[in-house]
Amino acid sequence: MRVSTNTIYETGTNLMLQQQDALVKTQQQLSTGRRILAPSDDPIAAAQALNVTQSESLNKQYSVNRASASSSLGLEENVLKQVTSLLQDVHGTTVYGGNSTLTDADRKILATELRSKLDSLVGLANTTDENGQFLFSGYQASTKPFVQTGLNVQYSGDQGQRLNQVGPARQLAISDSGTDVFERIKSGNGIFTTAANSLNLGTGVIDGGSVITPASLTGANYDINFTVAAGVTTYDIVNTTTGVPVSSANPYVGNSTISFDGIQMSIKGDPANGDKFTVSPSSNKSIFKTVGDLITALETPSSGQPGGTRLANSLSTALQSINNSLEHVLTKQSSIGARMNEIDTLESVGGDQSIQFEQLLSQLQDVDFAKATSDFQRQQLYLQAAQQSYIKISRLSLFNYI
Amino acid sequence: MGNGILDIGITGLLTSQNQLLTTSHNISNADTPGYKRQQVVLSTNIPQSSGAGFVGRGVHSTTVQRIYNQFVVSQSLQIQTQSQALDSYFGQIKQLDNMLGDSTSGLSPALQNFFSAIQDVATNPAVIPSRQAMISNGEALVARFQSMDQRMSQIREDINTQITSTVDDVNSLAKQIGDINHQILLAEGAAGGQPANDMQDQRDELISQLNKIVNTDTVRQSDGSVNVYVGNGQALVVGTQTLSFKAITSPDNPDNLTIALVTGNNTVQLPEDQITGGTLNGVLSFRNVTLDNAQNALGRIAITLAQTFNAQHQSGMDLNGDMGSNFFSLPPPKVISAIGNNPASNITAGISDYSVLTTSDYQFSYDGTNYTLTRSSDNTSVSTAVAPSGATPLTLDGISVTAATILANERFRIQPTINGAKDLAVNITDTTKIAAAGPNRTNAALTNTGTGKISAGTVNPLPLDSNLQQPLTITFHTPYDGQYDVAGIGTGLPATNQAYTAGADISFNGYTFQISGSPAAGDIFTIAPNLNGSADNRNALLLGVLQTKNTIENGTASYQSAYGQLVSQIGNKTRELEVTSKAQATLLKQTENTMQSVSGVNLDEEAANLMRFQQAYQASSKVIEMSNTLFDSILRIG
Repeated sequence: MRVSTNTIYETGTNLMLQQQDALVKTQQQLSTGRRILAPSDDPIAAAQALNVTQSESLNKQYSVNRASASSSLGLEENVLKQVTSLLQDVHGTTVYGGNSTLTDADRKILATELRSKLDSLVGLANTTDENGQFLFSGYQASTKPFVQTGLNVQYSGDQGQRLNQVGPARQLAISDSGTDVFERIKSGNGIFTTAANSLNLGTGVIDGGSVITPASLTGANYDINFTVAAGVTTYDIVNTTTGVPVSSANPYVGNSTISFDGIQMSIKGDPANGDKFTVSPSSNKSIFKTVGDLITALETPSSGQPGGTRLANSLSTALQSINNSLEHVLTKQSSIGARMNEIDTLESVGGDQSIQFEQLLSQLQDVDFAKATSDFQRQQLYLQAAQQSYIKISRLSLFNYI
Repeated sequence: MGNGILDIGITGLLTSQNQLLTTSHNISNADTPGYKRQQVVLSTNIPQSSGAGFVGRGVHSTTVQRIYNQFVVSQSLQIQTQSQALDSYFGQIKQLDNMLGDSTSGLSPALQNFFSAIQDVATNPAVIPSRQAMISNGEALVARFQSMDQRMSQIREDINTQITSTVDDVNSLAKQIGDINHQILLAEGAAGGQPANDMQDQRDELISQLNKIVNTDTVRQSDGSVNVYVGNGQALVVGTQTLSFKAITSPDNPDNLTIALVTGNNTVQLPEDQITGGTLNGVLSFRNVTLDNAQNALGRIAITLAQTFNAQHQSGMDLNGDMGSNFFSLPPPKVISAIGNNPASNITAGISDYSVLTTSDYQFSYDGTNYTLTRSSDNTSVSTAVAPSGATPLTLDGISVTAATILANERFRIQPTINGAKDLAVNITDTTKIAAAGPNRTNAALTNTGTGKISAGTVNPLPLDSNLQQPLTITFHTPYDGQYDVAGIGTGLPATNQAYTAGADISFNGYTFQISGSPAAGDIFTIAPNLNGSADNRNALLLGVLQTKNTIENGTASYQSAYGQLVSQIGNKTRELEVTSKAQATLLKQTENTMQSVSGVNLDEEAANLMRFQQAYQASSKVIEMSNTLFDSILRIG
């Protein structure tokens, strides 16, 4: 083919320009470390990289959230530990309070000690976090949850539970309302509760009782009325919810087990004529009420009879309630522990994911240095070849010989 | 006889001289743009007849001709105009590509920071600095939307400037072609029809330059002039007469300039789809296909983000105990009345469903019988003979025309999303007005003996019920019969003897919650306004979830993935144009080489010719010298 002189020069120049373009591009990739300088370099990878960046950013955010959740739960756990320790002290005091050698004055001293424990408990229930927000007031973080008037402690928070987004599809509760932690504790054995009438004159002491046939439970209130006639003690059981007697004139032997409608309990001692014991469905009894009732019982003079028996009955109820409270607080603590475990698991998953995201992102947009360096050298060689051949060709002209 | 030899010698000498001149001309114009090498066409003189046959009488130059292949020239023009179109499209879209490629200035970081700030509010709902950070990051997000939109508007402005300067170039070239037509007519007339080679080269070069700007058709006239047509056969140059281009405001969109042809006192818009080549086609296609779409896509993300965010924000309660207000303020669709519409004509257009918004523009028209709403991207339309009103709107893709005062054959352009990014704003400055909390809280009475639990509850989708925050009390029947009564104020309240199903949705006053477990007789659950609920983050969590929720494009794309789509669309189109424009450039190079191989000057060839013609000249000189010698011999005889 005939080639014009212009074509020779232009082709040579264009070749050099092309090589330079490629060289500059590779140089840019090498100096930025990025393979994708603009989305057009790899549109699919560029869009994918954006999505991965968002996932990575969310992953980081969840990690921040988890740290905060962990700190909130840690604070709550700490408070509950102290509550447990206080309750254990109270338990000890209650057991000691049942000691028959104590006088009314001794019990007063115990009561005073318990009053300060009650104050401590209320103080713990009103704990605030680092931002001055109450821990146990539900949604109303600026409302003091427990207000104490004498032995009466009133809850002013709500039942809201604060949640935290700890993972892409997981919202974890990072608080428990004061009601749930301190108030929603079933009295008695959880199904029903027993009590001795405060006007009883005999020495009858009732225990907490238990359920023997769950299917027969009625959920009703009962009275157990004792009659002592001619040295023979008998008792009647009345369902006071319906007013229908359950059984009458049962002979009472000391330490006898009484069972009816699926429940069973035992009464020890010698009930007097007209003494009454009640059985009612369990209701919720707060930790503060439990301690308050205990203080009232200890402060009530109870030397001699029937005070001694009344105290024994009160202490028995109190012990059961304190055990219930301890069990409840420990359950809450283990629930917090489970949540913190979950956070740890999520954190370790998040850490793995973070590495994966970074690897993916690197694969998507980072330059392969080995390849780029080799490309760079190859392109350099091509450019040099283009330059040298251009110089050689441009020297050739017939005019040199005319 | 001797005279004959002298004459023949002289003819040879003269033609060789012409050839040497032409060769020198070729050498000196080797680098002149558009120059085609020339060649002297020789032919023998009429021979002298004699008894011994025809005796040659020497040579003469018939003409000087340009050497070229008309087919290759036309092909090259075609390829060049396409190549220019692709190059200029690529040059424009590369700007968008670079803008979106910058990972620090793109939308993603601002979006991520904003949602991180929301998560922070969810973690610390009552902490004012967290709330302030959310507002600040919201403002930063808006600013990012605006700066990206501004960059696109800037590109649109640049295109307008380019159209204006292009129009000047076209007019100048057209005038030069007209002038050179005139000169060629004069020159060729004076030369008795011999071709005015160099002027024709110049004219071809001018046409080629014009062709780079806008595709043209040329028709050679018998008198030697060339007519130039643009678009659908509209004349730009007819002989020595020229018409001119003018940049006018587009009748459809006052933000755009477009091209019109001025004929006498008339200015007629040149439909943009008739400009199929040249840089003009490149910028116009870029503007119509890519830029509008990209700006709409960005606007759509902004609008949908604002709307979905506002809807969720309105379902929450702020620190003052009020229901949330609009967090963002978002612009209504832009409606443009076409030039020529009656000034009293107007329509009302709104967005009735944000999730199905597209990135297209729309046209509303009336033909005297039917009202039609057309999607511009693919001309899908809906029509009705009933005038649109609030009760009977004309709706397409979530765009609703709810009122129209329009005369027959008038039209309006509706751009639902174009201003989305530009006019987005954060509506809240007071940190207490961030609605992080839920409006109600639920409560299970402490006296309950059953194991029933009540969930925190959620607000039903907008619109909000006016009794949303009215307290409710749910009491289970005594004795227990699996039914409960609901007391309170609101629609359908009080409600008695409702059957209880554990975990089932219970919905009153636009609030939905569930009771699970086994409630017992007389158990009470209440719903009350969430007063002082400063630590409640339920709504903030729901706001945070929006980041990954598919709210755009019929629920198939999140904000981020919609932006990813935009990036990948622009990236793909840029890539495609890069490849096709390179391919076209290679094709053009090849055609130019073919053209050069026919018409281009090769200096070695000219050097060889120079020697050849020099030798011919010297030979003819010898002939003359020899005739002189012959003459002298005859003289010596006498």
